[in-house]
Amino acid sequence: MAIITISRGTMSGGRAVAQCLADRLGYPCLGREVLQTAARMLGASEETVLHKLQTPPGLWDHVTRERQAYVVAAQAALAAHCTTGSLVYHGLAGQLLLRDVPGVLRVRLIAPVAIRVQAILAQHSRTNHVAAERFIQSVDRQRRRWVRRMYGVEINDTSLYELTINLESITLATACVMIAELARQPHYEVTADTRQRIQAFAADCDRRVTEVIGPRAGQHPASGEGA
Amino acid sequence: MAIVSVCRGTKSGGQAFAECLADRLGYPVVGREILQAAAFDLGVSEADLTQQFERAPRRWDRQAAARRVYVVGVQAALAEHVATGNLVYHGLAGQVLLRGLPAVLRTRLVAPFAERVRTLAEHDDITQEAAERYIREVDATRTRWVKMMYGEHIDDPALYDVVINLATMSIEAACAITVATLEQPEFTVTDEARGALEDFRLACRVKRALVTAPDTRGLPLEAVAHAGVVEVSGTAPLLSTGETGDRIAEISGAVLGVKQVRLKLQWFDPYP
Repeated sequence: MAIITISRGTMSGGRAVAQCLADRLGYPCLGREVLQTAARMLGASEETVLHKLQTPPGLWDHVTRERQAYVVAAQAALAAHCTTGSLVYHGLAGQLLLRDVPGVLRVRLIAPVAIRVQAILAQHSRTNHVAAERFIQSVDRQRRRWVRRMYGVEINDTSLYELTINLESITLATACVMIAELARQPHYEVTADTRQRIQAFAADCDRRVTEVIGPRAGQHPASGEGA
Repeated sequence: MAIVSVCRGTKSGGQAFAECLADRLGYPVVGREILQAAAFDLGVSEADLTQQFERAPRRWDRQAAARRVYVVGVQAALAEHVATGNLVYHGLAGQVLLRGLPAVLRTRLVAPFAERVRTLAEHDDITQEAAERYIREVDATRTRWVKMMYGEHIDDPALYDVVINLATMSIEAACAITVATLEQPEFTVTDEARGALEDFRLACRVKRALVTAPDTRGLPLEAVAHAGVVEVSGTAPLLSTGETGDRIAEISGAVLGVKQVRLKLQWFDPYP
Protein backbone atom coordinates (compact mmCIF):
# COMPACT_ATOMS: atom_id res chain seq x y z
CA MET A 1 0.00 0.00 0.00
CA ALA A 2 1.19 3.51 -0.83
CA ILE A 3 -0.04 7.06 -1.15
CA ILE A 4 0.61 8.59 -4.54
CA THR A 5 0.06 12.20 -5.57
CA ILE A 6 0.09 13.15 -9.23
CA SER A 7 0.76 16.77 -10.08
CA ARG A 8 0.33 17.93 -13.66
CA GLY A 9 -0.69 20.83 -15.83
CA THR A 10 -4.25 20.99 -17.08
CA MET A 11 -4.93 18.53 -19.94
CA SER A 12 -1.59 16.78 -19.51
CA GLY A 13 -3.06 13.29 -19.21
CA GLY A 14 -2.77 13.14 -15.42
CA ARG A 15 -6.26 11.78 -14.86
CA ALA A 16 -5.71 8.90 -17.30
CA VAL A 17 -2.40 7.97 -15.63
CA ALA A 18 -4.03 8.17 -12.18
CA GLN A 19 -6.92 5.95 -13.25
CA CYS A 20 -4.57 3.42 -14.86
CA LEU A 21 -2.49 3.37 -11.71
CA ALA A 22 -5.51 2.96 -9.43
CA ASP A 23 -6.79 0.07 -11.57
CA ARG A 24 -3.38 -1.59 -11.61
CA LEU A 25 -2.79 -1.27 -7.86
CA GLY A 26 -6.41 -1.57 -6.71
CA TYR A 27 -6.28 1.80 -4.94
CA PRO A 28 -9.01 4.44 -4.76
CA CYS A 29 -8.49 7.31 -7.21
CA LEU A 30 -9.45 10.81 -6.14
CA GLY A 31 -9.33 14.22 -7.77
CA ARG A 32 -11.99 16.87 -7.35
CA GLU A 33 -13.83 14.72 -4.75
CA VAL A 34 -11.37 16.13 -2.21
CA LEU A 35 -12.39 19.66 -3.14
CA GLN A 36 -16.05 18.70 -2.77
CA THR A 37 -15.38 17.41 0.76
CA ALA A 38 -13.46 20.60 1.60
CA ALA A 39 -16.34 22.69 0.20
CA ARG A 40 -18.81 20.83 2.43
CA MET A 41 -16.58 21.45 5.47
CA LEU A 42 -16.50 25.16 4.72
CA GLY A 43 -20.08 25.48 3.58
CA ALA A 44 -18.70 26.91 0.34
CA SER A 45 -19.19 25.97 -3.28
CA GLU A 46 -16.74 23.65 -5.03
CA GLU A 47 -15.97 26.43 -7.53
CA THR A 48 -14.94 28.74 -4.69
CA VAL A 49 -12.57 26.15 -3.24
CA LEU A 50 -11.14 25.45 -6.70
CA HIS A 51 -10.66 29.17 -7.26
CA LYS A 52 -8.91 29.60 -3.90
CA LEU A 53 -6.57 26.67 -4.59
CA GLN A 54 -5.69 27.81 -8.06
CA THR A 55 -5.56 31.58 -8.29
CA PRO A 56 -2.68 33.34 -6.53
CA PRO A 57 -3.56 35.14 -3.30
CA GLY A 58 -3.74 38.91 -3.33
CA LEU A 59 -2.74 41.36 -0.61
CA TRP A 60 -6.14 41.14 1.09
CA ASP A 61 -5.72 37.36 1.54
CA HIS A 62 -2.56 37.94 3.52
CA VAL A 63 -4.43 40.29 5.85
CA THR A 64 -7.52 38.11 6.40
CA ARG A 65 -5.74 34.76 6.12
CA GLU A 66 -8.96 33.60 4.50
CA ARG A 67 -7.03 31.69 1.86
CA GLN A 68 -5.43 29.63 4.60
CA ALA A 69 -8.86 28.32 5.63
CA TYR A 70 -9.36 26.79 2.19
CA VAL A 71 -5.91 25.21 2.18
CA VAL A 72 -6.40 23.72 5.65
CA ALA A 73 -9.84 22.36 4.68
CA ALA A 74 -8.43 20.77 1.50
CA GLN A 75 -5.55 19.34 3.54
CA ALA A 76 -7.97 17.88 6.12
CA ALA A 77 -10.19 16.37 3.42
CA LEU A 78 -7.18 14.78 1.70
CA ALA A 79 -5.63 13.57 4.97
CA ALA A 80 -8.88 11.80 5.88
CA HIS A 81 -8.63 9.76 2.68
CA CYS A 82 -4.97 8.96 3.34
CA THR A 83 -5.70 7.16 6.62
CA THR A 84 -6.67 4.01 4.68
CA GLY A 85 -3.03 3.83 3.55
CA SER A 86 -3.65 3.54 -0.18
CA LEU A 87 -4.61 6.37 -2.49
CA VAL A 88 -3.95 7.87 -5.90
CA TYR A 89 -4.67 11.62 -5.78
CA HIS A 90 -4.54 13.60 -9.00
CA GLY A 91 -6.12 16.82 -7.76
CA LEU A 92 -4.56 20.17 -7.01
CA ALA A 93 -1.39 20.64 -4.94
CA GLY A 94 -1.22 17.10 -3.51
CA GLN A 95 2.58 17.27 -3.28
CA LEU A 96 2.29 20.36 -1.05
CA LEU A 97 -0.87 19.53 0.94
CA LEU A 98 0.76 16.24 2.00
CA ARG A 99 4.31 17.48 2.37
CA ASP A 100 4.31 16.67 6.12
CA VAL A 101 3.18 13.10 5.52
CA PRO A 102 6.04 10.57 5.46
CA GLY A 103 6.56 8.15 2.56
CA VAL A 104 4.26 9.86 0.05
CA LEU A 105 5.20 9.11 -3.54
CA ARG A 106 5.00 12.45 -5.35
CA VAL A 107 4.91 12.37 -9.14
CA ARG A 108 4.90 15.23 -11.62
CA LEU A 109 3.74 14.75 -15.22
CA ILE A 110 4.78 17.25 -17.87
CA ALA A 111 3.68 17.53 -21.48
CA PRO A 112 4.37 20.09 -24.22
CA VAL A 113 1.73 22.77 -24.74
CA ALA A 114 1.08 21.51 -28.29
CA ILE A 115 -0.05 18.09 -27.03
CA ARG A 116 -2.22 19.69 -24.35
CA VAL A 117 -3.81 22.01 -26.90
CA GLN A 118 -4.69 18.99 -29.05
CA ALA A 119 -6.31 17.32 -26.02
CA ILE A 120 -8.51 20.38 -25.46
CA LEU A 121 -9.45 20.60 -29.14
CA ALA A 122 -10.40 16.91 -29.14
CA GLN A 123 -12.73 17.44 -26.17
CA HIS A 124 -14.17 20.84 -27.04
CA SER A 125 -15.01 21.13 -30.71
CA ARG A 126 -16.21 24.74 -30.38
CA THR A 127 -12.89 26.15 -29.22
CA ASN A 128 -9.95 27.05 -31.43
CA HIS A 129 -6.21 26.58 -31.23
CA VAL A 130 -5.40 30.10 -30.04
CA ALA A 131 -8.05 30.07 -27.30
CA ALA A 132 -6.94 26.63 -26.10
CA GLU A 133 -3.30 27.72 -25.92
CA ARG A 134 -4.22 30.92 -24.09
CA PHE A 135 -6.32 28.94 -21.61
CA ILE A 136 -3.46 26.52 -20.86
CA GLN A 137 -0.95 29.31 -20.41
CA SER A 138 -3.30 31.19 -18.13
CA VAL A 139 -3.97 28.18 -15.88
CA ASP A 140 -0.25 27.31 -15.79
CA ARG A 141 0.64 30.86 -14.83
CA GLN A 142 -1.96 30.96 -12.06
CA ARG A 143 -0.89 27.65 -10.57
CA ARG A 144 2.76 28.60 -10.77
CA ARG A 145 2.09 31.86 -8.92
CA TRP A 146 -0.18 30.15 -6.40
CA VAL A 147 2.52 27.62 -5.46
CA ARG A 148 5.18 30.35 -5.33
CA ARG A 149 3.15 32.65 -3.10
CA MET A 150 1.68 30.00 -0.81
CA TYR A 151 4.74 27.78 -0.36
CA GLY A 152 7.67 29.77 -1.76
CA VAL A 153 8.68 27.03 -4.22
CA GLU A 154 8.56 26.56 -7.99
CA ILE A 155 5.96 24.08 -9.24
CA ASN A 156 8.42 22.65 -11.81
CA ASP A 157 11.24 22.16 -9.31
CA THR A 158 12.11 18.49 -9.75
CA SER A 159 13.28 18.19 -6.14
CA LEU A 160 9.62 18.50 -5.03
CA TYR A 161 8.80 15.15 -6.64
CA GLU A 162 10.20 11.64 -6.51
CA LEU A 163 9.61 11.26 -10.21
CA THR A 164 9.04 13.72 -13.07
CA ILE A 165 7.81 12.06 -16.25
CA ASN A 166 7.77 13.73 -19.65
CA LEU A 167 4.67 12.60 -21.54
CA GLU A 168 6.04 13.92 -24.81
CA SER A 169 8.15 10.80 -25.14
CA ILE A 170 6.73 8.42 -22.51
CA THR A 171 3.29 6.90 -23.15
CA LEU A 172 0.58 6.98 -20.48
CA ALA A 173 0.83 3.18 -20.15
CA THR A 174 4.59 3.32 -19.57
CA ALA A 175 4.20 6.16 -17.04
CA CYS A 176 1.68 3.97 -15.23
CA VAL A 177 4.08 0.99 -15.18
CA MET A 178 6.91 3.19 -13.93
CA ILE A 179 4.94 4.67 -11.02
CA ALA A 180 3.42 1.28 -10.09
CA GLU A 181 6.91 -0.21 -9.95
CA LEU A 182 8.09 2.59 -7.69
CA ALA A 183 5.04 2.25 -5.43
CA ARG A 184 6.12 -1.34 -4.77
CA GLN A 185 9.47 -0.25 -3.38
CA PRO A 186 9.82 -0.61 0.40
CA HIS A 187 10.33 3.12 1.08
CA TYR A 188 6.80 3.97 -0.10
CA GLU A 189 5.09 1.06 1.69
CA VAL A 190 2.59 2.37 4.25
CA THR A 191 3.63 0.48 7.38
CA ALA A 192 1.81 0.40 10.72
CA ASP A 193 4.13 3.15 11.94
CA THR A 194 3.50 5.30 8.85
CA ARG A 195 -0.23 4.79 9.24
CA GLN A 196 -0.08 6.02 12.82
CA ARG A 197 1.74 9.14 11.68
CA ILE A 198 -0.80 9.70 8.91
CA GLN A 199 -3.63 9.38 11.45
CA ALA A 200 -1.88 11.89 13.71
CA PHE A 201 -1.50 14.21 10.73
CA ALA A 202 -5.20 13.84 9.86
CA ALA A 203 -6.19 14.56 13.48
CA ASP A 204 -3.95 17.63 13.45
CA CYS A 205 -5.57 18.82 10.20
CA ASP A 206 -9.04 18.41 11.76
CA ARG A 207 -7.95 20.42 14.77
CA ARG A 208 -6.60 23.19 12.55
CA VAL A 209 -9.81 23.23 10.52
CA THR A 210 -11.80 23.75 13.72
CA GLU A 211 -9.40 26.49 14.83
CA VAL A 212 -9.42 28.31 11.52
CA ILE A 213 -13.03 28.02 10.42
CA GLY A 214 -14.81 26.86 13.58
CA PRO A 215 -16.85 29.94 14.26
CA ARG A 216 -17.82 30.28 10.62
CA ALA A 217 -18.32 26.62 9.71
CA GLY A 218 -21.37 26.09 7.53
CA GLN A 219 -21.33 29.68 6.32
CA HIS A 220 -20.02 30.77 2.95
CA PRO A 221 -16.59 32.26 3.68
CA ALA A 222 -16.33 33.82 0.24
CA SER A 223 -19.36 36.03 0.94
CA GLY A 224 -17.24 38.04 3.37
CA GLU A 225 -14.91 39.28 0.65
CA GLY A 226 -17.56 39.80 -1.95
CA ALA A 227 -16.04 37.29 -4.41
CA MET B 1 17.26 -3.45 -26.04
CA ALA B 2 17.53 0.29 -25.62
CA ILE B 3 19.87 3.17 -24.90
CA VAL B 4 19.89 4.97 -21.57
CA SER B 5 21.58 8.31 -21.03
CA VAL B 6 22.17 9.36 -17.44
CA CYS B 7 22.63 13.06 -16.72
CA ARG B 8 23.45 14.08 -13.18
CA GLY B 9 25.34 16.56 -11.07
CA THR B 10 28.70 15.55 -9.68
CA LYS B 11 28.39 13.09 -6.74
CA SER B 12 24.69 12.52 -7.35
CA GLY B 13 24.97 8.75 -7.61
CA GLY B 14 25.08 8.67 -11.42
CA GLN B 15 27.89 6.16 -11.74
CA ALA B 16 26.34 3.70 -9.25
CA PHE B 17 23.00 4.04 -11.05
CA ALA B 18 24.61 3.43 -14.45
CA GLU B 19 26.49 0.38 -13.15
CA CYS B 20 23.34 -1.03 -11.53
CA LEU B 21 21.50 -0.65 -14.85
CA ALA B 22 24.34 -2.24 -16.80
CA ASP B 23 24.32 -5.21 -14.38
CA ARG B 24 20.58 -5.69 -14.57
CA LEU B 25 20.36 -5.28 -18.35
CA GLY B 26 23.71 -6.74 -19.41
CA TYR B 27 24.47 -3.58 -21.43
CA PRO B 28 27.88 -1.99 -21.79
CA VAL B 29 28.32 1.16 -19.73
CA VAL B 30 30.35 4.03 -21.13
CA GLY B 31 31.27 7.42 -19.74
CA ARG B 32 34.79 8.77 -20.07
CA GLU B 33 35.55 6.22 -22.78
CA ILE B 34 33.57 8.36 -25.20
CA LEU B 35 35.80 11.36 -24.52
CA GLN B 36 38.88 9.17 -24.95
CA ALA B 37 37.61 7.82 -28.27
CA ALA B 38 36.68 11.31 -29.48
CA ALA B 39 40.08 12.69 -28.45
CA PHE B 40 41.78 9.88 -30.38
CA ASP B 41 39.65 10.49 -33.50
CA LEU B 42 40.27 14.24 -33.41
CA GLY B 43 43.97 13.87 -32.62
CA VAL B 44 43.80 16.00 -29.45
CA SER B 45 44.50 15.23 -25.81
CA GLU B 46 41.68 14.04 -23.57
CA ALA B 47 42.45 16.92 -21.19
CA ASP B 48 41.87 19.50 -23.95
CA LEU B 49 38.64 17.88 -24.95
CA THR B 50 37.37 17.59 -21.37
CA GLN B 51 38.18 21.24 -20.82
CA GLN B 52 36.02 22.25 -23.77
CA PHE B 53 33.11 20.33 -22.23
CA GLU B 54 33.71 21.32 -18.64
CA ARG B 55 34.41 25.03 -19.14
CA ALA B 56 31.46 27.16 -20.06
CA PRO B 57 31.91 29.40 -23.08
CA ARG B 58 31.93 33.14 -22.54
CA ARG B 59 29.38 35.34 -24.22
CA TRP B 60 31.93 36.38 -26.84
CA ASP B 61 33.54 33.02 -27.30
CA ARG B 62 36.68 33.20 -29.43
CA GLN B 63 36.91 29.44 -29.44
CA ALA B 64 33.36 28.77 -30.65
CA ALA B 65 34.54 27.06 -33.84
CA ALA B 66 37.09 24.91 -31.98
CA ARG B 67 34.49 23.99 -29.39
CA ARG B 68 32.10 22.90 -32.14
CA VAL B 69 34.77 20.51 -33.45
CA TYR B 70 34.99 18.88 -30.03
CA VAL B 71 31.21 18.62 -29.60
CA VAL B 72 30.82 17.05 -33.04
CA GLY B 73 33.71 14.68 -32.25
CA VAL B 74 32.13 13.53 -29.00
CA GLN B 75 28.71 13.12 -30.62
CA ALA B 76 30.28 11.01 -33.39
CA ALA B 77 32.12 8.81 -30.87
CA LEU B 78 28.87 8.34 -28.94
CA ALA B 79 26.96 7.58 -32.15
CA GLU B 80 29.33 4.66 -32.89
CA HIS B 81 28.30 3.05 -29.58
CA VAL B 82 24.63 4.00 -29.84
CA ALA B 83 24.23 2.32 -33.24
CA THR B 84 24.67 -1.10 -31.59
CA GLY B 85 21.37 -0.54 -29.77
CA ASN B 86 22.40 -1.46 -26.21
CA LEU B 87 24.11 1.14 -24.07
CA VAL B 88 24.16 2.95 -20.76
CA TYR B 89 25.85 6.34 -21.19
CA HIS B 90 26.65 8.36 -18.10
CA GLY B 91 28.95 10.94 -19.63
CA LEU B 92 28.46 14.58 -20.43
CA ALA B 93 25.52 16.10 -22.29
CA GLY B 94 23.80 12.83 -23.32
CA GLN B 95 20.41 14.52 -23.11
CA VAL B 96 21.28 16.97 -25.89
CA LEU B 97 23.72 14.85 -27.92
CA LEU B 98 21.11 12.08 -28.26
CA ARG B 99 18.06 14.31 -28.63
CA GLY B 100 15.33 13.11 -30.99
CA LEU B 101 16.57 9.53 -31.34
CA PRO B 102 14.21 6.54 -31.00
CA ALA B 103 14.62 3.93 -28.24
CA VAL B 104 16.64 6.34 -26.09
CA LEU B 105 15.61 6.95 -22.48
CA ARG B 106 17.10 10.22 -21.27
CA THR B 107 17.21 10.22 -17.49
CA ARG B 108 18.31 12.88 -15.04
CA LEU B 109 19.21 12.14 -11.45
CA VAL B 110 18.86 14.81 -8.80
CA ALA B 111 20.10 14.44 -5.24
CA PRO B 112 19.95 16.78 -2.22
CA PHE B 113 22.82 19.26 -2.19
CA ALA B 114 23.80 18.43 1.40
CA GLU B 115 24.04 14.74 0.54
CA ARG B 116 26.30 15.45 -2.44
CA VAL B 117 28.55 17.66 -0.32
CA ARG B 118 28.84 14.96 2.33
CA THR B 119 29.68 12.28 -0.28
CA LEU B 120 32.38 14.44 -1.88
CA ALA B 121 33.89 15.51 1.45
CA GLU B 122 34.14 11.86 2.56
CA HIS B 123 35.36 10.57 -0.78
CA ASP B 124 38.05 13.20 -1.35
CA ASP B 125 38.80 13.78 2.34
CA ILE B 126 38.24 17.54 2.09
CA THR B 127 36.33 20.00 4.27
CA GLN B 128 32.59 20.59 3.93
CA GLU B 129 33.23 24.15 2.74
CA ALA B 130 35.65 23.04 0.03
CA ALA B 131 33.25 20.33 -1.13
CA GLU B 132 30.35 22.79 -1.18
CA ARG B 133 32.37 25.32 -3.19
CA TYR B 134 33.50 22.69 -5.69
CA ILE B 135 29.99 21.32 -6.31
CA ARG B 136 28.52 24.81 -6.73
CA GLU B 137 31.26 25.68 -9.21
CA VAL B 138 30.84 22.50 -11.28
CA ASP B 139 27.02 22.85 -11.29
CA ALA B 140 27.23 26.49 -12.38
CA THR B 141 29.71 25.68 -15.14
CA ARG B 142 27.64 22.82 -16.54
CA THR B 143 24.50 24.96 -16.42
CA ARG B 144 26.27 27.73 -18.36
CA TRP B 145 27.69 25.23 -20.85
CA VAL B 146 24.28 23.77 -21.77
CA LYS B 147 22.77 27.28 -21.86
CA MET B 148 25.43 28.67 -24.19
CA MET B 149 25.75 25.62 -26.45
CA TYR B 150 22.10 24.64 -26.76
CA GLY B 151 20.11 27.53 -25.28
CA GLU B 152 18.49 25.20 -22.73
CA HIS B 153 18.51 25.11 -18.95
CA ILE B 154 20.07 21.91 -17.65
CA ASP B 155 17.40 21.63 -14.92
CA ASP B 156 14.49 21.95 -17.35
CA PRO B 157 12.62 18.64 -16.99
CA ALA B 158 11.44 18.90 -20.62
CA LEU B 159 15.00 17.99 -21.72
CA TYR B 160 14.62 14.51 -20.21
CA ASP B 161 12.16 11.65 -20.43
CA VAL B 162 12.30 11.08 -16.70
CA VAL B 163 13.82 12.91 -13.75
CA ILE B 164 14.52 10.77 -10.69
CA ASN B 165 14.95 12.37 -7.28
CA LEU B 166 17.27 10.37 -5.04
CA ALA B 167 16.25 12.28 -1.89
CA THR B 168 13.98 9.45 -0.79
CA MET B 169 14.65 6.86 -3.47
CA SER B 170 17.44 4.28 -3.31
CA ILE B 171 19.71 3.59 -6.29
CA GLU B 172 18.18 0.09 -6.48
CA ALA B 173 14.65 1.51 -6.65
CA ALA B 174 15.70 4.00 -9.34
CA CYS B 175 17.32 1.14 -11.23
CA ALA B 176 14.19 -1.06 -10.89
CA ILE B 177 11.83 1.54 -12.35
CA THR B 178 14.22 2.30 -15.20
CA VAL B 179 14.48 -1.39 -16.09
CA ALA B 180 10.66 -1.68 -15.98
CA THR B 181 10.44 1.33 -18.31
CA LEU B 182 12.90 -0.13 -20.80
CA GLU B 183 10.79 -3.28 -21.06
CA GLN B 184 7.97 -1.21 -22.57
CA PRO B 185 7.36 -1.32 -26.36
CA GLU B 186 8.50 2.25 -27.13
CA PHE B 187 12.04 1.39 -26.03
CA THR B 188 12.37 -1.69 -28.20
CA VAL B 189 15.01 -1.27 -30.89
CA THR B 190 12.87 -2.25 -33.87
CA ASP B 191 14.26 -2.46 -37.41
CA GLU B 192 12.97 1.08 -37.98
CA ALA B 193 14.68 2.37 -34.82
CA ARG B 194 17.90 0.59 -35.75
CA GLY B 195 17.77 2.27 -39.15
CA ALA B 196 17.36 5.67 -37.47
CA LEU B 197 20.32 4.97 -35.17
CA GLU B 198 22.48 3.97 -38.15
CA ASP B 199 21.40 7.12 -40.01
CA PHE B 200 22.40 9.13 -36.93
CA ARG B 201 25.80 7.46 -36.88
CA LEU B 202 26.36 8.18 -40.57
CA ALA B 203 25.30 11.82 -40.22
CA CYS B 204 27.67 12.21 -37.24
CA ARG B 205 30.54 10.67 -39.21
CA VAL B 206 29.96 13.13 -42.04
CA LYS B 207 29.79 16.09 -39.64
CA ARG B 208 33.03 14.96 -38.02
CA ALA B 209 34.72 14.67 -41.42
CA LEU B 210 33.55 18.18 -42.33
CA VAL B 211 34.62 19.88 -39.10
CA THR B 212 38.06 18.27 -39.16
CA ALA B 213 38.89 18.83 -42.86
CA PRO B 214 41.00 22.02 -43.30
CA ASP B 215 38.85 23.32 -46.21
CA THR B 216 35.51 23.05 -44.39
CA ARG B 217 36.58 23.30 -40.76
CA GLY B 218 35.02 26.68 -39.92
CA LEU B 219 31.77 26.27 -41.85
CA PRO B 220 28.48 25.89 -39.98
CA LEU B 221 27.35 22.72 -41.74
CA GLU B 222 24.77 20.16 -40.66
CA ALA B 223 24.20 16.69 -42.03
CA VAL B 224 21.16 14.42 -42.08
CA ALA B 225 21.34 10.85 -43.35
CA HIS B 226 18.76 8.39 -44.56
CA ALA B 227 19.69 4.93 -45.82
CA GLY B 228 23.12 6.02 -47.01
CA VAL B 229 21.94 9.27 -48.63
CA VAL B 230 23.39 12.28 -46.83
CA GLU B 231 22.02 15.80 -47.10
CA VAL B 232 24.46 18.52 -46.10
CA SER B 233 22.99 21.93 -45.30
CA GLY B 234 24.32 25.22 -43.96
CA THR B 235 26.07 28.28 -45.32
CA ALA B 236 29.25 28.30 -47.37
CA PRO B 237 31.33 31.04 -49.04
CA LEU B 238 30.86 31.55 -52.75
CA LEU B 239 34.42 31.57 -54.06
CA SER B 240 35.43 32.48 -57.61
CA THR B 241 37.07 29.08 -57.96
CA GLY B 242 33.72 27.44 -57.18
CA GLU B 243 35.50 24.73 -55.26
CA THR B 244 33.75 24.85 -51.88
CA GLY B 245 30.70 22.84 -52.91
CA ASP B 246 32.87 20.25 -54.65
CA ARG B 247 35.07 19.89 -51.57
CA ILE B 248 32.05 19.46 -49.25
CA ALA B 249 30.63 16.80 -51.56
CA GLU B 250 34.03 15.12 -51.88
CA ILE B 251 34.69 15.03 -48.11
CA SER B 252 31.18 13.80 -47.34
CA GLY B 253 31.25 11.21 -50.11
CA ALA B 254 34.51 9.72 -48.80
CA VAL B 255 32.92 8.80 -45.45
CA LEU B 256 32.39 5.08 -44.93
CA GLY B 257 28.74 4.16 -45.59
CA VAL B 258 27.79 7.20 -47.70
CA LYS B 259 26.15 6.24 -51.00
CA GLN B 260 25.03 9.64 -52.20
CA VAL B 261 25.53 13.27 -51.16
CA ARG B 262 22.96 16.03 -51.65
CA LEU B 263 23.94 19.62 -50.99
CA LYS B 264 21.42 22.11 -49.68
CA LEU B 265 23.69 25.07 -49.14
CA GLN B 266 23.11 28.77 -48.87
CA TRP B 267 25.94 30.71 -50.42
CA PHE B 268 27.34 33.96 -49.11
CA ASP B 269 29.86 36.41 -50.53
CA PRO B 270 32.95 36.34 -48.28
CA TYR B 271 34.21 39.66 -49.75
CA PRO B 272 31.11 41.87 -50.00
